[in-house]
Amino acid sequence: MKIKKYLGILLSTVLVTTSLVGCGPKKTSENKEKLEVDKTKVLRVWSFTDELKEPLKYFEEKYGIKTELTIVPTENYASKLQPVLDSGVGAPDVFTAEIAWVKQWIDLPYWENLSGEPYNADKWADDYVPYVYNIGKDMNGNVKALSWQATPGGFIYKRWIARKVWGNDDPAFVAQKLSSMENFMKAAEELKQAGYKILPDEGAIRWFAKGSDPKPWVNEKNELQLTQAQIDFMDYQKKLRDNEYTALAPEWSPAWFASMQGQIPINAGWEKDVNKVKGNKTEVFGYVMPTWGLHYVIKPNAKETAGDWGLTSGPSPYFWGGTWIGIYSGSKNKGAAWEFVKMMTHDEEFLNWWYKKTGDLLSYKPVTEKVKDTAKDEFLKGQNHYQFFLKEAEKINPNIVTKYDQGIDTIWGNVVKEYIEGKKTKDAAINEFYKQVKNAYPEIKTPLDK
Amino acid sequence: MNSRNKYGYLFIAPFFIVFSIFGIYPILLSLYMSFTDYKGIGSPFNANWVGLQQYARLLKDTYFLQAFINTWKIWGVNIILQLALALILAVIFSDVRLKLKGVSLYRAIFYLPNLMTVSSVALLFLFILDWQHGALNGLLLKAGFISKPVNWLGQPQTAQLSVSLIQTWLWFGHTFIIIFAGIEGISKDYFEAAMIDGASRTQTFFKVTLPLLKPIMIYVVITSLIGGLQLFEIPFLMSQNGLGGPEGSLVTMVLYLYNQAFKYRNFGYAAAVAYGLFFIILIFSIFVFKGMFKEEA
Repeated sequence: MKIKKYLGILLSTVLVTTSLVGCGPKKTSENKEKLEVDKTKVLRVWSFTDELKEPLKYFEEKYGIKTELTIVPTENYASKLQPVLDSGVGAPDVFTAEIAWVKQWIDLPYWENLSGEPYNADKWADDYVPYVYNIGKDMNGNVKALSWQATPGGFIYKRWIARKVWGNDDPAFVAQKLSSMENFMKAAEELKQAGYKILPDEGAIRWFAKGSDPKPWVNEKNELQLTQAQIDFMDYQKKLRDNEYTALAPEWSPAWFASMQGQIPINAGWEKDVNKVKGNKTEVFGYVMPTWGLHYVIKPNAKETAGDWGLTSGPSPYFWGGTWIGIYSGSKNKGAAWEFVKMMTHDEEFLNWWYKKTGDLLSYKPVTEKVKDTAKDEFLKGQNHYQFFLKEAEKINPNIVTKYDQGIDTIWGNVVKEYIEGKKTKDAAINEFYKQVKNAYPEIKTPLDK
Repeated sequence: MNSRNKYGYLFIAPFFIVFSIFGIYPILLSLYMSFTDYKGIGSPFNANWVGLQQYARLLKDTYFLQAFINTWKIWGVNIILQLALALILAVIFSDVRLKLKGVSLYRAIFYLPNLMTVSSVALLFLFILDWQHGALNGLLLKAGFISKPVNWLGQPQTAQLSVSLIQTWLWFGHTFIIIFAGIEGISKDYFEAAMIDGASRTQTFFKVTLPLLKPIMIYVVITSLIGGLQLFEIPFLMSQNGLGGPEGSLVTMVLYLYNQAFKYRNFGYAAAVAYGLFFIILIFSIFVFKGMFKEEA
């Protein structure tokens, strides 16, 4: 398999290099360029998940164009793709980007400007969930990438636990229980008394921190902004840890996945009191997860309890992740590339098919409007997840996304962890945060500069 | 110049061409980059010229200092253990009185870890050192040495020690072979003379073997220093793709360089770090070289 893939990359590299010989960087007046779909060429697509496999099959059948999907694991995606985009050698015609990279790449000359001729994507502005469409714009307001999905978040919980503890499993009732961080803590205490843990780990509430005071990490003056909400959430996280409201199952760990299915031992993580809690088992009540978390993470890991889950809102709205797609500006196969991007993001027939197949939340309004009233998810006891998620998506402010988010989120997560674990005081942790941000991004102004 | 000379140049030309492209050009380019604020976008020649700013930053960078200390700690423990182990084994196997059999077999076995790819070694030790299900904790618990599992890679000291020990395990066979060859190279007459004069094993070792091995030892220390200060793979792989382990204790100088370049895309600064690293290695190599030869002067 591997060899085949490398051979493919090698061959396509050879192909591209030879096809480039003699043509040089000829600047065609892109505005008048006409797109031709050359069916003899293979459309090359790069992505970081296998999500596009099925759509590409659909595309091959519908358009009669051969495609080649290269999947690079998330942790290596940026470091593999960027050199290829810089040099143009072996580059894809279409590539996707996760939210973490979208803002980093959108102001670089990687993606074709879809606002210009002959694409004119601007006229589609009203067809999309606004925040999704806006994130795909560069600093000049040009659309560079589009997305077929919207990924607002919610709180996904186990109904049977709600019934046992509160005698009511209705999403509206649970939303009331979690409507503010104070209430959230009260609910956590009630669940604890009954032998349950409200969350798998305390880091899960970081999304609410962002949502409760939505400001970008870095403002337009290039200053780092640490909101009071973020600082308050340090204490909420510490409270969750100190009061043993969580199962201490780190996100993405095997214990975390297992907790969706049933009981797990309380894992003291890397804490010294691990022996004290050894053997004690508990059950996790709910997860702070977005649309894809419901379909691709929780559902496959909770097959036995399907139908007894609920979806509701937490203390504040948020979104997590999302994949954007665009055309490589140096592609020699833009015609087919555009057809594929169009199909993925603006083709009612395809998107209907995709919705039926996955149940995923789409960003394309003509389809969402049609299905939102009748949508229901059997996994969620027939709850209408579509209406819920669409309402949450409306509350999202796209202007808080910056190209620094991934890096700064990681740094912040690490210092907060050191605070929670008692390795640093709050002030020392915040100070360390400023220092590390400055170290990673010298161009950002932090309070330490003053 | 006659035609014969011309052919000479023709024959050595390939090396110089290849070396210029893959050796000298990158060295000069990164030197140039270290004077710019290049962010890895487009050509480095379009980046802003910032003069010595990156080097000024390097001198004040406490994270780099921490990486420097981490690297020395990891290398220091490793080189002491590695030399001691290799020396003891080499002395035992070359002892004229013991005349051990099967030296070449042992030599091969000692050298074996060095032939493994570093990534598999890292993976292997991640399994062995895993604090919940690892073999090491399992063994120690059963033997009663510890009462609860030790989180080897979760605490700064043990994490650094783990990496040191892995490095020792990887390299002692290599050092053993060099020292063994060095001892073999010493004329047997000295050992026989020492034996006839009634010198004990310890006396022979300290008065004969060790002084005559000095040049070899210097070679081993300097090559290990050059390699050790560039330590990267094991800390990178054992700290979840370069996150740096507990409290950044596994961030070595090269890992720091890597993160600056490929994680934060500060290529200009990373180039300055690379040159800083080069000078550090140069200075310490001279220091070791001079220091060990001093007595003879």
